[in-house]
Amino acid sequence: MIDIAALTAPIREGLVPAHIYNDAAVHELEVERIFGRSWVFLAHESEIAEPNDYVVRHIADDSFLVTRDRSGEVHVMFNMCVHRGMQVCRAERGAATSFRCPYHAWTYGNDGRLLGVPFHDEAYGGEDGLARDGQALLPAPSVATYKGLIFASLDPDAPPFQEWLGEFAYYLDLYVDQSPAGMELRGPQRWRVKANWKIGAENFCGDSYHTPHTHASVVEIGLFGEPKPNKRKEGVLWLAGPGAGTTYKLPAGGDRAADPFAAGMRYVGYPDEVVATTRQRWTSAQQDLVGRSGFMPSAATLFPNLSFVHNWPEVAEGVVAPFISLRLWQPIGPDETEVLSWFVVAADAPERFKHDSYRAYLMCFGSSGMFEQDDVENWVSITTTAGGRMARRLLLNSRMGLRHDGSAVASPYPGFAGPGLAKQGYGEANQRHWLGLWADALGTAPPVTPSVAFGVPDGAR
Amino acid sequence: MALVPYTHADHQLTHQFLVEEAHLLDTLRFDDWFALLTDDITYVMPVRVTAVKSVDESTVQTMHHFEEDRYSLRKRVDRFATKYAWTEDPPSRLRHHLGNVRTFTTDDPDTLAVESSLLLFRSRGDRNEPDVLSAGRADRLRRTPDGFRLARRVITADEAVLRTQNLAMFL
Repeated sequence: MIDIAALTAPIREGLVPAHIYNDAAVHELEVERIFGRSWVFLAHESEIAEPNDYVVRHIADDSFLVTRDRSGEVHVMFNMCVHRGMQVCRAERGAATSFRCPYHAWTYGNDGRLLGVPFHDEAYGGEDGLARDGQALLPAPSVATYKGLIFASLDPDAPPFQEWLGEFAYYLDLYVDQSPAGMELRGPQRWRVKANWKIGAENFCGDSYHTPHTHASVVEIGLFGEPKPNKRKEGVLWLAGPGAGTTYKLPAGGDRAADPFAAGMRYVGYPDEVVATTRQRWTSAQQDLVGRSGFMPSAATLFPNLSFVHNWPEVAEGVVAPFISLRLWQPIGPDETEVLSWFVVAADAPERFKHDSYRAYLMCFGSSGMFEQDDVENWVSITTTAGGRMARRLLLNSRMGLRHDGSAVASPYPGFAGPGLAKQGYGEANQRHWLGLWADALGTAPPVTPSVAFGVPDGAR
Repeated sequence: MALVPYTHADHQLTHQFLVEEAHLLDTLRFDDWFALLTDDITYVMPVRVTAVKSVDESTVQTMHHFEEDRYSLRKRVDRFATKYAWTEDPPSRLRHHLGNVRTFTTDDPDTLAVESSLLLFRSRGDRNEPDVLSAGRADRLRRTPDGFRLARRVITADEAVLRTQNLAMFL
C-alpha cells in the first residue's frame, strides 16, 4: 500500500520521486483516481461526422463506443454486452445502425438501446423474466462536448466540464477553434511506446528547455528554425486551470504595426482565408496573444492526458506551413503508453493549405515525425531506468525557476494577453503545476459508483 | 498487369534490387539508398485500422505514417547524418527480411510493379524486447540507364497499432 501523502509531499516542492515513472502500484492508483474520475478526451465530432458513424476509444482499460445516432445525437457507451460481457463492437471505426453481439446475438441500437434478445419470451419469460424495454448499454457516467471535442468521465458526479476547464478554455480554443465551419481531425495514428504516459504529458505542457537540444537535428537540417536556444527561451510559458503550455516569441517589425494579429499568423504560414476564419472565432483577447503580445502557441497539455502541438516547419523549399496536432497519452501499463495522434485543420481551409499543413504534421510529429522520434527515445530511456531500486531513492529536480528559498527567478510577463500565470524564459513551473494536479487527484478518494444489475427490476445496487 | 515469370531476367533484376536495397537499409547507408530513388519518388504508408469485413477498407486514405516526396525523404536522410539524431544513436540493429517477391508488367514497358512482404526486426539497447514490423509493399521500379530506380512505394502495415517507438527508419 502506497503512502500517498508521503509520495506526493516532495512533488509540492518540485522534487519528483523517479519511480513514479515506472511503478505498478502508482499506475494502479492512477487508473483508479485519475482515469477513474478525470474528464478524458475520446473523439472529435468530425470523426463521427455522419449519422450512424462510430469509433471505439478507451479511458485507461475501459472500452467505449462513441456513436452518432440516426438523429445526429452523440452517445458514449461502455463497449460490453450486458448479457455475458462480450465486446459489442470489435472494429475501431465504421458506420452501423445497430450492434449485434457475436456471442448470443443480443442487439443494440447505435443509441445503446437494447433492441433484440433472441427467444426473449421462450427463454426468459418475456418482460417478466428479463426487462428488455427501455434497457441499454451502460452509458459513460458523464459526457461533455466542447467545440467538437467529446470528453467522458467515469465519475457520475464529475464537475461541469466548462467549469472544470476554466481559464484553460482560452488556450484550448487556439488549437481547436479556427473557423466557423469547425475543425477537421484526421487519424489517429496509433502506436505503442515503452514509456510512462506522464512523461509526454509533462513534456508538452512546458518543457521548452529540451527543445534546443533534443531537437537540434531538425534545426540543423533546416526543417524548423525556431528551436534555437536563444530563440526558444524568448517564449512565454503559461499555466491556467487544468493545464499549461508553451509559446514562441514572434519577430518584431515588418507589417506588424498595421495588423499584428494577421502579421503573426502570416509569419507562421497561415493563408489569408484561415486568418479571416480564425478572426471570426477568437475573441479579441485571444487574438491579442498573437497580435499585441506577439506570441504563437506551441505545445500544451490539458490534464490528464490530452496534449496539443503547433509548429511551422518548412515543408518544401521556401514554403512554411503551420500544423496542429492533438495527442492522447493512453496508459497501457506503468511502462507502456499507446499514443494516439491526430492532425487538425480548419474544415474550410484552402485545399493547398490543408495539403501543406498535413505534410508539416507528418514531417514533424506523429509516428514518423522528425521531432517526435527523438522525444520518444528519451522517454523510453527514462521509463526503463525508473523501474529499479535506485530510482526509489532519487528525487528528480524539477525546480527550474525557483530559488532555494522558494522565491521565483522570473516575474510574471507584463501585459500577457492570456489568463493564468505567464513567464518568459525557461522554467518548470508548468510541469510542477501538472504534477500538482496529479498529486491532488491521487490524494482524493475515488468516486463511489453504485453497481448496476442488468435486466432486473430496480437495477441499481 | 501480368505476372512476370520468376525465371525471367526482369524478375531476377527487380528481386536483386530489393535485396540490395534491404542491405543498404540494414547497414544504415541512407545516402546510397537515397540515390536509388527517382526524382518524382512517392513513398507512402497509410494508417491501417480494424474495420468490419463488409466495409472492405482497412486502410485510412486520409492519414498516413509516411507520405513522402523527395524533399521530405532528403530531410529524413539528412537528419540521420547529424550528430543529434538521438533516437538512432546508438543505432537500432535492423534486419529487413524480404519475401514473396512478385513482379508484374505495367502499361509502361520501362516500369515494373513489384510486390513484396517485409518483416523488419528492430533491436535497440539491451533492456527492451525487440520490435517486429510486418508489412506488404507495392513498388514501382523504373528502368534507367543506371539500372532500376524506385519511383513509388506503398507500405501496408499489418498492425493497426504499431509496436515500435517510432518510424525512425525506412521500410
